[in-house]
Amino acid sequence: MSTLDTTKNHAFLIDMTKCTGCRGCQVACKQWNQLEAEKTVFFSGEGYQNPPAMSEYTYTRIKFRDYQKNGQNEFAFYKEMCMHCNDPACASVCPVGAFKKTAEGPVVYDDKRCIGCRFCMIACPFGVPKYEWSKGLPLVKKCTGCHDRVRGGMKPACATACPTAITYGPRAAMIQEAERRLARYPDRYIHKVYGKEEAGGTSVIYLTSLPFEELGFKKVTMRALPSFTWQALRLVPGIFLTVGGGLSALSWINHRRDRIKALREAEETGTESAEPKEEQQ
Amino acid sequence: MTAARRIATEVRSYHGFIKFLIALVAIGALASLLRFIFGLGATTNLNDTYPWGLWISFDVVTAVPLAAGAFTLGAIVHCFHIKKLEPLVRPAIVTGFLGYSLVSIGLLLDLGQPQRGWHVFRYWNVHSPMFEVSMCVMAYTTVLFLEFLSPVAERFGWHLPLRVLRWLEMPLVVAAAAISTLHQSTLGTFFLIAVDKLHNLWYNPLLPLLFWVSAICSGMSIIILEASACHKWMGQPNEGVLLRTLAKILPWTLGLYIALRVFSLVALSEGPFFDRPGLTISFALEMGIGFILPFFMFVQKSVRDDDRRRSIAAGLVIFGLVLNRFNVSMFGMMDPDKIYYPSLIESLVTIGIIAGHILFFVLIARYFPIFEHHPETVDYTLPDPLRKIGGASPSLSSAD
Repeated sequence: MSTLDTTKNHAFLIDMTKCTGCRGCQVACKQWNQLEAEKTVFFSGEGYQNPPAMSEYTYTRIKFRDYQKNGQNEFAFYKEMCMHCNDPACASVCPVGAFKKTAEGPVVYDDKRCIGCRFCMIACPFGVPKYEWSKGLPLVKKCTGCHDRVRGGMKPACATACPTAITYGPRAAMIQEAERRLARYPDRYIHKVYGKEEAGGTSVIYLTSLPFEELGFKKVTMRALPSFTWQALRLVPGIFLTVGGGLSALSWINHRRDRIKALREAEETGTESAEPKEEQQ
Repeated sequence: MTAARRIATEVRSYHGFIKFLIALVAIGALASLLRFIFGLGATTNLNDTYPWGLWISFDVVTAVPLAAGAFTLGAIVHCFHIKKLEPLVRPAIVTGFLGYSLVSIGLLLDLGQPQRGWHVFRYWNVHSPMFEVSMCVMAYTTVLFLEFLSPVAERFGWHLPLRVLRWLEMPLVVAAAAISTLHQSTLGTFFLIAVDKLHNLWYNPLLPLLFWVSAICSGMSIIILEASACHKWMGQPNEGVLLRTLAKILPWTLGLYIALRVFSLVALSEGPFFDRPGLTISFALEMGIGFILPFFMFVQKSVRDDDRRRSIAAGLVIFGLVLNRFNVSMFGMMDPDKIYYPSLIESLVTIGIIAGHILFFVLIARYFPIFEHHPETVDYTLPDPLRKIGGASPSLSSAD
């Protein structure tokens, strides 16, 4: 899992100050992944954005947020999608290993393995994996990072369609570019490269002008999530051997004491009987 | 009289309560059928915000510690060698076996692709707590099944299996305790990954240890409750003297749990703790009424010796455990803006599973020697119609 060389994988650099809210990425994603359309309602949920949430049919979407700046109404945007973590929580908790961090960067999901336990949905700090709630035997759906395109040397569909805001390339280069922009235009941005450290580092990196919480970014730890469960799980073999061995030894000692006691009693009373044998059991 | 008619007459002779339980199980089975026909989304209130609901919170996370009586008592009786508690072991094993079988059914209903359950054997991911738990639950259900086979073999007079099972008794008891320790604690590990989701009152790195210790408390409490209920409603002898011994162990484990809980809260958790009134109340109920109050009750000899008050204290521990598991897996994970509550079908299935547990327990107790277990009276010799073993049988018995 964490043995992958994450410095060479590719990442999205999403500069939200450059996003025009055209939602070309949303459309390109639907087209490339052949996802069904969703019925939408004006002003559903928090604001102008549609569909109201990511779902089994929507892997990415632009969230709208209006705010006031110098007495003017302004818009800010946030592209919601899978963060393709360097050490993904979904991959670590999946009992059948249906999630995998690829060397190219995207975290991919193998729907042939999935047993449908939905632990990935509990584990993901960004709330990304979605479920086919309408089906009798449902599967998980999530952004693939267009792994099929990336493997073939192309950019992901959303990055190709985006006219302004998305840059795609080696992760190290993207972080470097983000930091260059922060240094060059300190007034334009909140001074933070989101995704550099979050959840142990992700392959989607954001720059923005509005505080991240205001845009609807989730509060996440900087530590890679799999380490939280692994610190307990790594003890499993030791605990098994300790408990098993300890109890075996304890019962052997106790039974031996019984056996000796029975033998001694038999000697004292001088009875030659099968009774000690009975006690052995 | 045909077999079907004989069964019909037998069922007709049952007590009204048992018939009521059968009806509940039938309704639950019907409701679970609807889940497969119409899908999880249509029949449950689960959604992308709450992928886990009542079935995981009760049928799995709560039912597993409630079935902990078998391994706890097995270890107490056979490893720690408190032999006089032996008569309580069989009912505990039956309860455990039923509990785990029903956990497996609950899990299969909740899985999106239950027909692929076997994938766990083929694609291993040792980093997954879910992998660990599913392996352990399958292994432990097998162990419990083997332990449960003893009364079955006695009932039908299968001598060879009886001898094999007798020989396997100790290894099975040790395996049961070791496997249970793993999966009871790993159920707590599940929620370690919910770093910024589970509320601070419950999120701490000791969660696995706390789950294990509280499972032991609830295992013993369930045995106390169950034996008292069997005495009251099933005409079984009063095991009060034995339950007193269990009640003497309980304050130690309860005390350990409370100490660990306070330590984890003070030293290992990060605040704020009391920012959500509903969760604060839930936490106070869980700790105060569910663990601290019964601790002070079990400390007193007068409570331990009194059948009624002892059962009440045991009931409080069960209440505390159930509330704790719901707090960790449901209430504490709740988004204040979006509330989850189980749908009618989810509730009917869970009620059916609980009813099924009681029903099968009563029926097994009716047809198999669960209560009148006296190991010394069981005939472990091999039947020898051809007289080929003859005098060799004593030497065979020493191999036990």
